[in-house]
Amino acid sequence: MSAGTTSVLLLALPAAAAVLCACLRSARAAHAVAAAAMLVATLLAVPMAVEVVGSGAVVVGPHATWLDLGRFTLGVGTMVDPTGAVLAAIVALLATVVLVFNAWYMHDEPLAARFPWQFCLFAAAMQGVVLADNLFLLFCCWELVGLGSYLLIGFWFDRPAAADDAGYQARKGSGARGVLEHRLSPSHAQWKAFVMNRVGDAGFLVGIGALLAVSLQTGAEGDVLSFARLAALPTADLSAASLFGLSGESLLVLAALGLFCGAVGKSAQFPLLGWLPDAMQGPTTASSILHAATMVAAGVFLVARCLPLFPPDALAVVGWLGAFTCLFAASIACVQWDLKAVLAWSTVSQLGLMFAGLGAGAAAGGGEAAVAHLFTHAFAKCLLFLCAGAVIHGCHGHQDLARLGGLWRRMPVTAAFALAAVLALGGAPWFAGFVSKDAILAAALAAAKVPGGPGFGPFLLACAGSLLTAVYLLRWWLRIFAGRERQLEVTQAAHDPPRAVLAVLVLLVPATMAAPWTFGDWLPLPHGPEHATATTVALVLLALGSAIALVVWLLAPRAGRDLAAQLARVLRPLHTACAELWGVERAFDLLFTRGLGRGLAAVVARLDLGGERRLAALELDGAPRPLPASLDGVVDGLARGCADVGRAGALLHGGRVGVYLAIALGALALAVLVGWSA
Amino acid sequence: MPEFGPDAPTGYLLVAALLFATGVFAAISRRNAIGVLIGIELMLNAAALQFAAYGRFAKSAADPQGQTAAVFVIVVAAAEAAVALALLFAVYRRTRDIDLEQNRELRS
Repeated sequence: MSAGTTSVLLLALPAAAAVLCACLRSARAAHAVAAAAMLVATLLAVPMAVEVVGSGAVVVGPHATWLDLGRFTLGVGTMVDPTGAVLAAIVALLATVVLVFNAWYMHDEPLAARFPWQFCLFAAAMQGVVLADNLFLLFCCWELVGLGSYLLIGFWFDRPAAADDAGYQARKGSGARGVLEHRLSPSHAQWKAFVMNRVGDAGFLVGIGALLAVSLQTGAEGDVLSFARLAALPTADLSAASLFGLSGESLLVLAALGLFCGAVGKSAQFPLLGWLPDAMQGPTTASSILHAATMVAAGVFLVARCLPLFPPDALAVVGWLGAFTCLFAASIACVQWDLKAVLAWSTVSQLGLMFAGLGAGAAAGGGEAAVAHLFTHAFAKCLLFLCAGAVIHGCHGHQDLARLGGLWRRMPVTAAFALAAVLALGGAPWFAGFVSKDAILAAALAAAKVPGGPGFGPFLLACAGSLLTAVYLLRWWLRIFAGRERQLEVTQAAHDPPRAVLAVLVLLVPATMAAPWTFGDWLPLPHGPEHATATTVALVLLALGSAIALVVWLLAPRAGRDLAAQLARVLRPLHTACAELWGVERAFDLLFTRGLGRGLAAVVARLDLGGERRLAALELDGAPRPLPASLDGVVDGLARGCADVGRAGALLHGGRVGVYLAIALGALALAVLVGWSA
Repeated sequence: MPEFGPDAPTGYLLVAALLFATGVFAAISRRNAIGVLIGIELMLNAAALQFAAYGRFAKSAADPQGQTAAVFVIVVAAAEAAVALALLFAVYRRTRDIDLEQNRELRS
């Protein structure tokens, strides 16, 4: 089967599964159907990826014009390039694994039958993003991905806010800070994710508009938003392009920054990052796919695919913002006490690292490095979240790192899997992250040496982020699995998932090793002179970070000499700032939710209530009503106008034969008059 | 050709227009269904008169098209009167009244 046909099937299979699963009442049957569909998709996607990566060529699938707008058209179609092919295979594989895991994870969840169709919709939308052949279709699927995440984050939509949830209060992290508990509920989290993504998408639309303007003004026609046509844009003659006084070059910068703005929302970069940790309110299995291959991966994928469109100025912005987010989120992850929150901030940080790589530019090998890290991160993070799900399942919802501990005896296989994922993410030698993270650091270093580039800032920030990555990941694993059991009543019932589930999880373990990624040079990783330097730096940082985490952990249990607590005391301002998320959440709450939101609500309420009050007063008077000059008044006036027209029309239709006759004759006379004059 | 007189169509046409206007007025304003019917007959006869006048003063006076149409109109008028009177009978049997202001069932 050709890659073009396969790509259509990869889109259609999850979509069909979503429709079918939505009709099924039984959770078991729905999970079976969904997992089977995703398994078939995996079996189709892997050979396609092998073929496309082997040939290195871009395969164009079927394309149809959806809207012909004269000078340009908007179309639907598929396209498979090596990056997209691999990502499509990863999405399908991870979706299969997560669905099988979820069938066990939700075995006593009454709403479980809702999960598969929402999940399949999510996966289908992501496949659309990956396989779309033009920016317009990608944007549509991008929005569907947003819808899928909205549904999954709000899976337990009826749960109360954390402040009113007795179960949450009993089980929450003892050091939980920076959390606005009155706003922490699944239904709020889903809104938050949706709204923050809309903010990013506004920028995305501006970017698409700018690209469209530049394309059309340089004389392009037809399907101008297709990636093949966009790739040729930077080399085109831009002198004819201008819009609102912006030159063609400035328009390209605007377009690149717009696309990046969309990616910032989708991939939770500073400042639109609050939604991803809050999305932890959804099921852990949903998080495992959301943080790995769908949703957050879409932003990195978009920028990677459009990287040729990014001028140096825009690349510098991408690099700086990504590297800053990398360090920012890593610092927060170090002081989190909720085991899922650590992973969530870790995702934000790793995505920042990918953007730092992308910011290094294609010439420095940043694109390939970031994409490689996207792949390796997907497997490791999916495995980490599934292990976290197994821990939460075994400990009856306890997620507090201060109460867990010593679980390696009760769940040895899970502990081993989690360790592999931690090593892969932390970038230990012979593990997957070592390959891709080094490549990113090398690319950032190479870009720093280019005059007029982003400078050494992104490289240094990314290095600091890498150091903290080792610290928080090792802390996470040690606190959960190593040492003694801190609270027996929390951990005593824990056990590994059943063998069938472990047999599926083990599929992810080989991908956490370096070997599959370096085998046969199929992944075009950059190998520059900076590579040796970057490797040395990364190894030193890893050793340092691991040492910090180990020392703190080893000295922590000694009575009266709790090093973690002492450190927190010595570095109190820093610790507080990290634990309070550097005030970002509170600033957003104050500025937008309270400030802008309440202000807008007050204005609308005044308009609305004003009209209502006037109407009430007028009705009391019984006087003829003037049109109230409020929002309500406009609506009421329209309604009254419609009613009056109706009443006037009803008068004509009175059943009087004479009136009918008069109307008929009048119409005839009118027709004759018009005919005469014409 | 003179404007008026037996050799000009203007007089015939004026009479026909007057007849037609009278018929329209009667048909619209009468409450009694018989009155409406008479109005309609007047309109038809106005049309017949006009046909005959045009037939008489057409360029090829030998062509009897106008006169033929007038005969057709008379036939149609007779048929219409028969149907309409039958309808009125039916209405009268139903409501004992042929006042159109009272018979407004077309409304629904």
